[in-house]
Amino acid sequence: MSMETVNDIDIDRSAGDFSYPESHKYDAGYGLTSETVNYISKVKGEPDWIRDFRLRALDTFESRPMPTHWASEDLNAIKFDDIRYYLANGQRPTRSWDEVPEDVKRTFERLGIPEQERKFLAGVEAQFDSEAVYSNIKKAVGDQGVIFMGSTEGLMKHPEIFKKWFGKVIPTGDNKFSALNSAVFSGGSFIYVPPGVKVKHPLQAYFRINAENFGQFERTLIIADEGSEVMYMEGCTAPRFETATLHSAVVELVALKGAKIQYITVQNWSQNVFNLVTKRALAHEEAEVKWIDCNIGSRLTMKYPGVVLKGRKARGEVLSIALANNGQHQDTGAKMVHAADETTSNVISKSISIGRGRATYRGLVHVPKHLKGCKNNTECDALLINPESRTDTYPAITVRGAGNSVQHEASVSQVSAEQIFYMRQRGLTEGQAMSLSVNGFVNDLVRQFPMEYSVELKRLIDLEMEGSVG
Amino acid sequence: MNIAALASDETHAGSGVLQGEPLASFDFDSAPQWRHEVRQEAWRAFQATPAPTRTDEAWRFSPLKALDLRAYVRPCANAEDEGRDLLERSNGLREIAGRMVFANDRLLKREVRSDALAQAGVIWLPLAEAAVKHPDLLEKYFMREEAVLGSRKYAALHEARVCDGSFLYLPPGVKIDLPIESFQWLHGENASCFPHTLIVASENSRATFVDHFQSSAAVAGFACGVNDLWLGAGASITYINCQQWSDSTVAVQINSTVLGRDATAVALNAQFGGGYVRSESVSHLREKGGRSDMLALAVADGRREIDQRTLQIHEAPHTASDLLYKNALDDRAHTIFSGLIRVAPNAHFTDAYQKVRNLLLSEEAEADSAPGLEIKADNVRCTHGATTGQIEAEELFYLLSRGIPRSKAQRLIVFGFLNEAISRLPARDEAVREYLRRTLQDRFSPGDLGRPEVLGV
Amino acid sequence: MSSLIIKDLRANVAGQEILRGLSLEIEKGKVHAIMGPNGSGKSTLSKVIAGHPDYEVTGGDVLLDGESILGLEPDERARRGVFLAFQYPMEIPGVTNANFIRAALQARLGEGEELEATEYYAKLYARMDSLEIPRSFTARSVNEGFSGGEKKRNEILQMAMLEPQYAILDETDSGLDIDALKVVSRGVNSLRGPNLGALVITHYQRLLNYIQPDCVHVMASGRIVKSGGPELAFELEAKGYDWIKDEPVAAGAV
Repeated sequence: MSMETVNDIDIDRSAGDFSYPESHKYDAGYGLTSETVNYISKVKGEPDWIRDFRLRALDTFESRPMPTHWASEDLNAIKFDDIRYYLANGQRPTRSWDEVPEDVKRTFERLGIPEQERKFLAGVEAQFDSEAVYSNIKKAVGDQGVIFMGSTEGLMKHPEIFKKWFGKVIPTGDNKFSALNSAVFSGGSFIYVPPGVKVKHPLQAYFRINAENFGQFERTLIIADEGSEVMYMEGCTAPRFETATLHSAVVELVALKGAKIQYITVQNWSQNVFNLVTKRALAHEEAEVKWIDCNIGSRLTMKYPGVVLKGRKARGEVLSIALANNGQHQDTGAKMVHAADETTSNVISKSISIGRGRATYRGLVHVPKHLKGCKNNTECDALLINPESRTDTYPAITVRGAGNSVQHEASVSQVSAEQIFYMRQRGLTEGQAMSLSVNGFVNDLVRQFPMEYSVELKRLIDLEMEGSVG
Repeated sequence: MNIAALASDETHAGSGVLQGEPLASFDFDSAPQWRHEVRQEAWRAFQATPAPTRTDEAWRFSPLKALDLRAYVRPCANAEDEGRDLLERSNGLREIAGRMVFANDRLLKREVRSDALAQAGVIWLPLAEAAVKHPDLLEKYFMREEAVLGSRKYAALHEARVCDGSFLYLPPGVKIDLPIESFQWLHGENASCFPHTLIVASENSRATFVDHFQSSAAVAGFACGVNDLWLGAGASITYINCQQWSDSTVAVQINSTVLGRDATAVALNAQFGGGYVRSESVSHLREKGGRSDMLALAVADGRREIDQRTLQIHEAPHTASDLLYKNALDDRAHTIFSGLIRVAPNAHFTDAYQKVRNLLLSEEAEADSAPGLEIKADNVRCTHGATTGQIEAEELFYLLSRGIPRSKAQRLIVFGFLNEAISRLPARDEAVREYLRRTLQDRFSPGDLGRPEVLGV
Repeated sequence: MSSLIIKDLRANVAGQEILRGLSLEIEKGKVHAIMGPNGSGKSTLSKVIAGHPDYEVTGGDVLLDGESILGLEPDERARRGVFLAFQYPMEIPGVTNANFIRAALQARLGEGEELEATEYYAKLYARMDSLEIPRSFTARSVNEGFSGGEKKRNEILQMAMLEPQYAILDETDSGLDIDALKVVSRGVNSLRGPNLGALVITHYQRLLNYIQPDCVHVMASGRIVKSGGPELAFELEAKGYDWIKDEPVAAGAV
């Protein structure tokens, strides 16, 4: 079955490419109505239950107010009518390499992004051929019976698994943007890891880059069956050169008894993007879920990865780094809902505000009554680089009943002038000294990233720090 | 309602707290016309302001149904013998500079016990009398800071209904060593009161003030109070809110403390009683060198709900604030702490700390914490922390191994836990610390201490 | 012209004058020592030479091989060969020792040049061994959780790796026990040679038993008040600093 799955991916993709030869057929146009949703569902050839699901979600989306009573007023700047909600494979708007701004090209250069990838990232090429790398991974995991495919494929080919968990971790009505995603989602990954299978290679969205994966409304569902282990990585440190201004993904993880899931995100959005993402995991008995989340760029990012600790001794973790530069607001955090005895959760968040950047941490820890032996530990550290930099911390913690313990600590600091002088005395420029300090500040978290990400991340911090001093 | 027919608000005594327009009444309003207008304005604001709702961040976690005020009645005058009884029961500190006792907002007695209060320029009067004699001071300081933590509606209600309270004005350089006390009694079933304390401390003055809030019997009541502290340059104020309302009292207490250059304020809210108690405390650090210590302890047992909201606003460079709130929760009690440190742009060299510690002693108790930071200046030292946990097994075992019975050992540990907040009061207020410790001890085990003897007048 | 010349240097901290016309020449190949009571301005001198932003130079000059460095940023001075071993070395959380020294060396290379990793580590390990610094220190954050002695040894390690033209050792002996003092001194002595001019600032003569100076200067109230050979240090040790204050300012200490 595993090999079939692999073949299916290829067949399906090329079939998709051939069946809609005229470009207008891939395009749902501007604005969002029930017609848009019907169109998306039809183009994708989805079953009725998905179309109904989408239509119900649209109603929910429309009935919900913007959450500006607690979130940034900047959300009101989103023009829902000016957005194209669906562009099929190959229909990313293209431009020539000459049209790509110089600073973006320079950044690619500095980050050492390979030529081929640069063109895709800059929107010059719609497809990125990573087949060579990808086929190895596909083969390796395919042999183990792992299903790894696009979410649309997943819902059509494996409805028995897909349907059971889809929308169950994050209900459509969880928030306005999860409803939006539920109505218009396309792209994203579907992964199923059979019982006991430990996937050695990290599965990377990066290796199967295409328009849908890098789409605006991707939907990812990962199910790790009993005792299995999987690591998933998405994004890359290269800045995304986007024309779309709204990105709203939904990611659902299900870790069944004793399973382990690590989900790693490194994102660097361009300055005009609203990045509003809902990510949540369901951890069953003795399961472990770890979110590693790194947010750079964008105009406004709102993202609070969560774990619902549903089974005894389940464990949840969120490690996050946010870098907010001029004109950027990183509104990130974590949610830990304890729903069984002896569950533990850990949150470490580090944010850096540069220039007039703003970093916000929002946390939710919930330990309802009649639970025993639950523990949460949360640490939030914010570093402010310039006098106009801003940081906020808004945790909300509810604990009922003796026998549980919750700790939250947060601190705000700046890079000390004496530290910078010390480093400059050794010959480092002020900018280099500042970069080194900032890298040091996030170092204990970055160490937990896969090697290639942590190296890129360090370079990226160096880049972001430029112009913050002097 | 025929307004012309009503010569005085007294006519409304016994009618619902939400009924009837506020009218010029009592001494408070008899002199300055502006008071009457302000009262009318406040009443309109109260009616116009919507009641808090579930989605209101300022009321997150709050049990909103406690704020249904329809059952409560306007204050009634007390019979003379009742007043005597309450006076006798107004037992506070042993040595004081003076005290005022109020029942349902009516002054029962004002006593001067130290010459310090007779120093030139010191004004220590019932608010109503102060309004007549010092309208300029009241106009400048009375209800001048907006209630920014959610209770704008209840601040308006207070302003519409307030009729008396304590007013203390300290001229420059005057220091009063002995504490000044005020007792506010809530008397009668479903009674309401609107206690007000206003302290204006001129430059380099110093005083300690203790507000006692008590119910005459274990019946329902509603209290909606305001205590505002104004500290001039170099002034130093210790303020204690010793709250012992009945277990079925709903209370809203709104505080604002404004600190001038190098001023130091230490405020402690000791929450011993109440059914639902909403406490809002704001420290405005307006000028260089100001320092505000915000302390609280809560003995939350039974079905008590203590809802605490705080704000530390650093508006100028080189200011400091340090907050410590400690809640011990037993039975089905519920505490809320929602606090914010806000550092304004350019308020560099701010030192701001915020700590809330919840000790859970039962399966049903619930502690909600939301400690927040909003930092808009980079050269700052700010930390906050919130912990919720239970008595350490090792600590308990240690006491048991010394032969202390379990229940007593637990009480000891809880006492020690809450005492940390008391111990942060300045050393010069040792008598106040001692009084609070006794009250705390007494609260846990009434049998352990002979009440009148220990706490005698 | 291979020397670091300090010429009639005047400097303020927070509006208060600390250096009041200090002159001194440190030739390549020589070790000068400055001794002086607390508050004489010894540490200020080291910070001013290194370019600390809190210190305002109000007069005089500092010439490195004939060129003024006062207009240079602290890191430019460092890259030209001025090294300051700090009295209180800073901790840099999260930045490992190996990375830090590497970054400092890399900063001295031209555009496009890369430090050769194998050579770098070979050299680093050799220097660490001679300073009796355990290998594990490469992976530890700079000075974080180091003892006083470890911090001072780490300063000398950095000096050994960066190979400065002129080194200023600010109270490197403070807080060291005798064994640590010997290790640190041995490290410094091994770096002595025709290509290094050194200024050793100390309160006590003890250090000068191990790092023998060519010249000793006494500093008081922001000036050099007396200069002499190594024997001056012993005189100070025996008599204390009080007698110095009566001495006339040494004319032309340069």
